[in-house]
Amino acid sequence: MENLKRRHITPDVHQQPSPPVYEQYNPATLIDHNYGDEKNKFAKPLPPQQRVVYSSNKYIAFCQKYHRALIPAGLTLLAFWTRFRQIGLSNIVVWDEAHFGKFGSHYLKNEFYFDVHPPLGKMLVGLSGWLSGYNGSFAFESGHKYPEDVNYTGMRIFNAFWGALLVPLAYLTARQFKMSQRASILAATMVLLDTAYLCISRFILLDSMLMFFTCLSLYCMTVFNNCKNEPFSENWWLWLGMTGFSLGCVLSVKWVGLFVIALVGLNTIEDLWEMLGDVQMPKKTYAAHWLARAVCLICIPTLVYLFSFAMHFLVLYRSGPGDAQMSSLFQARLAGNSFERNPLDLAYGSKLTIKNYGYGGGLLHSHVQTFPEGSKQQQVTCYHYKDDNNHWIIRPPRVIGNPQDYEPENGNVRFVKDGDVIRLIHPPTGRNLHSHPIAAPITSGQWEVSAYGNETVGDIQDNWKVEIVDDLVYKDKERVRSLTTRFRLRHTQLNCLLSANNVVLPQWGFKQIEVTCDKRNRENDPHTWWNVEEHYNDNLPPAPKNAYKSKFLHDFWHLNVAMWTSNNALIPDPDKEDILSSTPSEWPLASVGLRMCGWGDDIIKYYLLGNPAVWWPAFASLLVFLASAGFYLARMQRKIHDLSNAQWDHFLYVGKTLFLGWFLHYIPFCIMGRVTYLHHYFPALYFSILMVPFLLEHWTAKMSNRTQWIVFGIAYVSVIAVFIYFAPVAYGMSGPISNYKGRRWLKSWNLVDK
Amino acid sequence: MTSSDPKLRRRRVDPMDAGSSSLTDIGEEKKKGSWRGVPSGPSPIGHRTALAIVTLLGCITTFYKIWHPAEVVFDEVHFGKFAGFYLKRTYFFDVHPPLAKMMLAAAGYLLGYDGHFDFGTIGDNYIENNVPYVGLRMLPATMNVLCIVLIYNIMRESGYTVLTCSLSAAMYLLDNSAVAQNRLIMLDSMLVFYMLSTVYCYIRFRKLRYQEFTRGWWFWLIATGVTMAMTVSVKMVGLFVVTTIGICVLVDLWGLLDIKRGLTMKEFMRHFNARALALIIIPTCVYLFWFYVHFAILDQSGPGDTFMSSAFQETLKNSAIKMKSLDIHYGDEIILHHPGTEVYLHSHTLKYPLRYDDGRISSQGQQVTGVKEADDNCYWRVKATKDISKDKRTPVRHNDIIQLEHVATGTNLLTHDVASPLLATNEEVTTMEQGKRYNETLFKVVLDDHNNGNIWSTHMKSVKLMHVDTKVAIWTRDKVLPEWGLGQQDVNGNKNTQDRSNFWMATEIKGLNATEINMNKKKEIKKMSFIMKFFELQGRMLRHNSGLTKPHPYQSTPITWPFLIRGISYWSKNDTREQIYMTGNVFGWWLSIGGVAVYAGVMLADTLARRRGVEPIDEPLRNRFISSAGLFLILWLTHYIPFFAMGRSLFLHHYLPAATCNYLLLGAVFQFMFIDGIDSPVSPLEGTTNTKYRRFHPLMMVATLSKYSYLAAFLILLGQLGMFLFLSPLTYGTPGMTVQQVLQHKILSTWDLQFAK
Repeated sequence: MENLKRRHITPDVHQQPSPPVYEQYNPATLIDHNYGDEKNKFAKPLPPQQRVVYSSNKYIAFCQKYHRALIPAGLTLLAFWTRFRQIGLSNIVVWDEAHFGKFGSHYLKNEFYFDVHPPLGKMLVGLSGWLSGYNGSFAFESGHKYPEDVNYTGMRIFNAFWGALLVPLAYLTARQFKMSQRASILAATMVLLDTAYLCISRFILLDSMLMFFTCLSLYCMTVFNNCKNEPFSENWWLWLGMTGFSLGCVLSVKWVGLFVIALVGLNTIEDLWEMLGDVQMPKKTYAAHWLARAVCLICIPTLVYLFSFAMHFLVLYRSGPGDAQMSSLFQARLAGNSFERNPLDLAYGSKLTIKNYGYGGGLLHSHVQTFPEGSKQQQVTCYHYKDDNNHWIIRPPRVIGNPQDYEPENGNVRFVKDGDVIRLIHPPTGRNLHSHPIAAPITSGQWEVSAYGNETVGDIQDNWKVEIVDDLVYKDKERVRSLTTRFRLRHTQLNCLLSANNVVLPQWGFKQIEVTCDKRNRENDPHTWWNVEEHYNDNLPPAPKNAYKSKFLHDFWHLNVAMWTSNNALIPDPDKEDILSSTPSEWPLASVGLRMCGWGDDIIKYYLLGNPAVWWPAFASLLVFLASAGFYLARMQRKIHDLSNAQWDHFLYVGKTLFLGWFLHYIPFCIMGRVTYLHHYFPALYFSILMVPFLLEHWTAKMSNRTQWIVFGIAYVSVIAVFIYFAPVAYGMSGPISNYKGRRWLKSWNLVDK
Repeated sequence: MTSSDPKLRRRRVDPMDAGSSSLTDIGEEKKKGSWRGVPSGPSPIGHRTALAIVTLLGCITTFYKIWHPAEVVFDEVHFGKFAGFYLKRTYFFDVHPPLAKMMLAAAGYLLGYDGHFDFGTIGDNYIENNVPYVGLRMLPATMNVLCIVLIYNIMRESGYTVLTCSLSAAMYLLDNSAVAQNRLIMLDSMLVFYMLSTVYCYIRFRKLRYQEFTRGWWFWLIATGVTMAMTVSVKMVGLFVVTTIGICVLVDLWGLLDIKRGLTMKEFMRHFNARALALIIIPTCVYLFWFYVHFAILDQSGPGDTFMSSAFQETLKNSAIKMKSLDIHYGDEIILHHPGTEVYLHSHTLKYPLRYDDGRISSQGQQVTGVKEADDNCYWRVKATKDISKDKRTPVRHNDIIQLEHVATGTNLLTHDVASPLLATNEEVTTMEQGKRYNETLFKVVLDDHNNGNIWSTHMKSVKLMHVDTKVAIWTRDKVLPEWGLGQQDVNGNKNTQDRSNFWMATEIKGLNATEINMNKKKEIKKMSFIMKFFELQGRMLRHNSGLTKPHPYQSTPITWPFLIRGISYWSKNDTREQIYMTGNVFGWWLSIGGVAVYAGVMLADTLARRRGVEPIDEPLRNRFISSAGLFLILWLTHYIPFFAMGRSLFLHHYLPAATCNYLLLGAVFQFMFIDGIDSPVSPLEGTTNTKYRRFHPLMMVATLSKYSYLAAFLILLGQLGMFLFLSPLTYGTPGMTVQQVLQHKILSTWDLQFAK
């Protein structure tokens, strides 16, 4: 940038008289010549305000006067009309409504559940249910018909509302990028008439909110960038804060929000780097810039994210299907949890479930399936849902002492103390928790843990020593107490620690967590710590009510680790072909569509498919941008300046921001190992859509007004025409699908059965 | 801000100050007539002596007890075997390109080795098996010594002092990983050798940039291209050095495009074309050439046959497959074999049970299963559905619709929309009496390789049996049926018809002895164009390479490599308690990664300072630090970072080329930190015919060594030597160690040495 500034060849080449009427905005004149060049800005007075001549017709004059409000309002109305039209046509649960509708119901029933996404989006779904008078009783089973009392139309409208707001946002963002009205409306039209955006907005899903907050972040960032010349003004603070707030919201809907955070982050770094070069700026001012950004772009999003989780925990105060993902102490405070009647002290003969204390830890579990390699004995895993296979019974150890000493027959019990050796038996299969010097299936540096033998068959490798770490309530280490005592289980023979490190097993282990015997002996690693969760012993009385509360930050972090682990487990299964999933390489050219429901003749069918007249130009525009930038750079290297400094800076700023936005929202999916679906591309698409009008305008800037109108006319007409032709895929196709086979433009679209 | 701001240059304005380094304008010097093109840096004698010493030391560390162990070590299992295949001229398949293995084979050939030994497992004895293993190991070991020479010369050509050059070379020769890896029969020393050669040639080329299009310029440009191709011909990892050179050339071209360089577009295009020729076209030819040699040597059928297409296999002499292959005709009774799970398609009189354990219901039809041993129940008659002439035998072709009759029970193969016993998503396969449900017994013959002859034949053309009615393929997988199915393998109709495991191979035609018939026919060896062979092999290499994902106990993740979190156990012997544990020199590796951090820190600080209008580093120093040390940094990055994106199983020895580059960078950082100034300029300016460089006056500077330079170098080398000697029992595999000693040698608790108990 430094070099570019110094060069200033023809700074005033575009100082032409202002155009007489507002329609004739020339993008070149719209750009502030001093944009991003503060020194010059203050050196020279601003160009005189354009004098706007209004039409003599009072209606037209009205429109001209209030176009700033009228155009976005008009676009919003159009968006509402396209989004809400026939929204309740299909009265069955479509696609992922099965998930998100169900999660929404959990909020209404206040039952704790677990999901891989952060809670904000689902809370909004819950809110939509509450607003439309739904009581949370419906199970949202995929493909089932909505009962009479579920106002699914209301819920869908609430979701579609967010999706509709994308349209005015696209317009406003384009305006902030200094595009002409003609170009900005084209951007909005492309967003409005993209069948994929339309389709995804109309159901009870998170994507419309995710999209909305992503686009809002971009919009806030662009407004903020345009406030650069008046730092620390009210507007400046407002938009910086708004950027931070919307970033927090995106992140609280889905973790892909991190990509837009990266975009804003890069923008901020560039901004600060620019300022660093300004030697005249006082150091205090510079520090203030840093501080302002740290507060608004780091603290605010973090607080929003934390707040969404705080709300989540607050609303979901009842025990529900997601309990087992959380720490035992967290569960203990949920109303109606399964261990209110637990006895306190552990004794030989107790039946219990054992929870890993590490972040994201699960319940020690075993099932009849065996390891496919290694010892080929019965699998032992960690599992995050409650079932009988999580149960273990404490039995006397092998060889050590007389079993009678451990379990006296007369109803007395022997409590488990620190240092006691025990054997754990798995009641559903009768096998013992066992380890041996065989490498574990995934973490091959550790020993495998399996379930082996039975009550009589077995060896000394079934023995485990209890080592108490501490107790959160009672200070002594005398006894092992359910919930509060944290302990390690040490294998007496191999001297290794029972541990579960959030490593996911392949399909043969049902994507459960690997359990190993860790020979590194990391005694301070919480992944080797366990606590007792459920505890049953007929000989013991129930425990007094536990007043200990888990800390919010601990629960928050625990839940996030659990989300991360489950997210990583969502890897494609090579044994199973999933017709819904697609690979990132198929997205940019819209070479894949997604069937959102059953494909029978009697069902209203929705096909998630991009409008080719939007997607193809959008992708092409990215390549055109790269080629143009390369072209200009090479020409500049040869001292041929096609653009003035201000124009080049502006071209680079807009193009770079949009390209980076697309890049950051797209490339990570290529690297990610998890299953990817078409709708993951939608945020990236938005950036490439904005690139189309920008480049159209850039390259037609020197042409006559007539040619420009023709070019834009073609763009408008093709988007609208193709949309009308493809609209049924988003509004629902009834009758046999073969009626629509003409719309199968690409062979790879599975719109029609082969 | 210009580069000659006197305030910042204060330190060295006085060129007359004889004791310290001097920084002067060459233009000035020239006027005085004292400039000789290269500043009065270290004398060639100093360099020669130092080079001789490090080479000698390198010979000692590399060749020390090279005969020990006289047993197969780690990957010698593979590469020794591959060399043997070249000597026997039998076709084999490997994921790496052929050059290094051919070099090993050539060494074996000169030693009179005939390739008889199979290098079966780690620990097999060489002496008992009469293998000239010392000679074979001599080749990689010699390459390692040459690597040391190259490192020295790279540093020398980059204009570093004798001390720096010696330091880099000595660090490398005292690196335990380089010694352990590069004297065994493996590919890495060749890889590193060619990689360093490429860097050396490129630096020589770059130094001649003011003498463009002279003979020397062309020589080093083409040499860069050739050595680059040699690197890739050793291992695909060579592509990393290609990336480095690519980046350098792009930066170079971008500079040439700058109008301030004064080149016309025509001249620029000449530069561009010269590089395209030397760095794209010539390397491609060299790479292809080695494959040509590869195919020319391996003209006999061997263990690699099965990896290739049948068309390829037909080009090999004594191809077993060709002797066994027969065309299939209508009416033949054949056996179908599933290559993936090694079972034969089978049926017997038992029926599917009415109700399965999970409550689903079957058709109660006759079972169709897979068995490991072929028997009479495995014969299937191929029946036509079109009119065929009765007099002559009609061959079965691609896309023919056929029926398959189970000969023993006289029923036809059928599949239908009933869930299969174990996999509810797939269709049940059963058989049906003659004449019933005709439409559901029709299968389409889809040959895998139907472009090379569309007649179905045994052993040559694998076949997919596509059910005409329901569009599923007959398929089996590694799952056995419960007791009612006699524990035989589950066969079902697979809806995923694109799966490679849908293919079956016909192995036998009842009553026909293939060998006999083929002996009488005397098929000739078919030809296949070299390019076709090349692309087939290349494709299969890449596919196979990415398929190497099977976990290995000693695999590791790239992030752990520079810190040496874990080594690899290469070899161990129980009775002598000796072992070879591949690990780097902990001192040198940690120091080098520290060098990277220093480099990054200095560059960051400099960038920030310059942004604030301060230029803290002298221009020649900074220039060298960016262009020379920057090249080493890019080398290190390109040899390291790509591994993070790789899906296959990775090992510590994949980091060795990067570790080597890191020593180069360490040398450059050492010079920057401990030696005052740098010998500059390093590229000769004179002798150019081009007048436009006349205006170009670089600043001149001479490096000055102080006692601290020597002290620092001495301490670093002492540390490196100490660690090398300490770890040497693990590197040379001798002497054996007691438990106590083994535990002592566990520098990090994560090292899993043998005999630690």
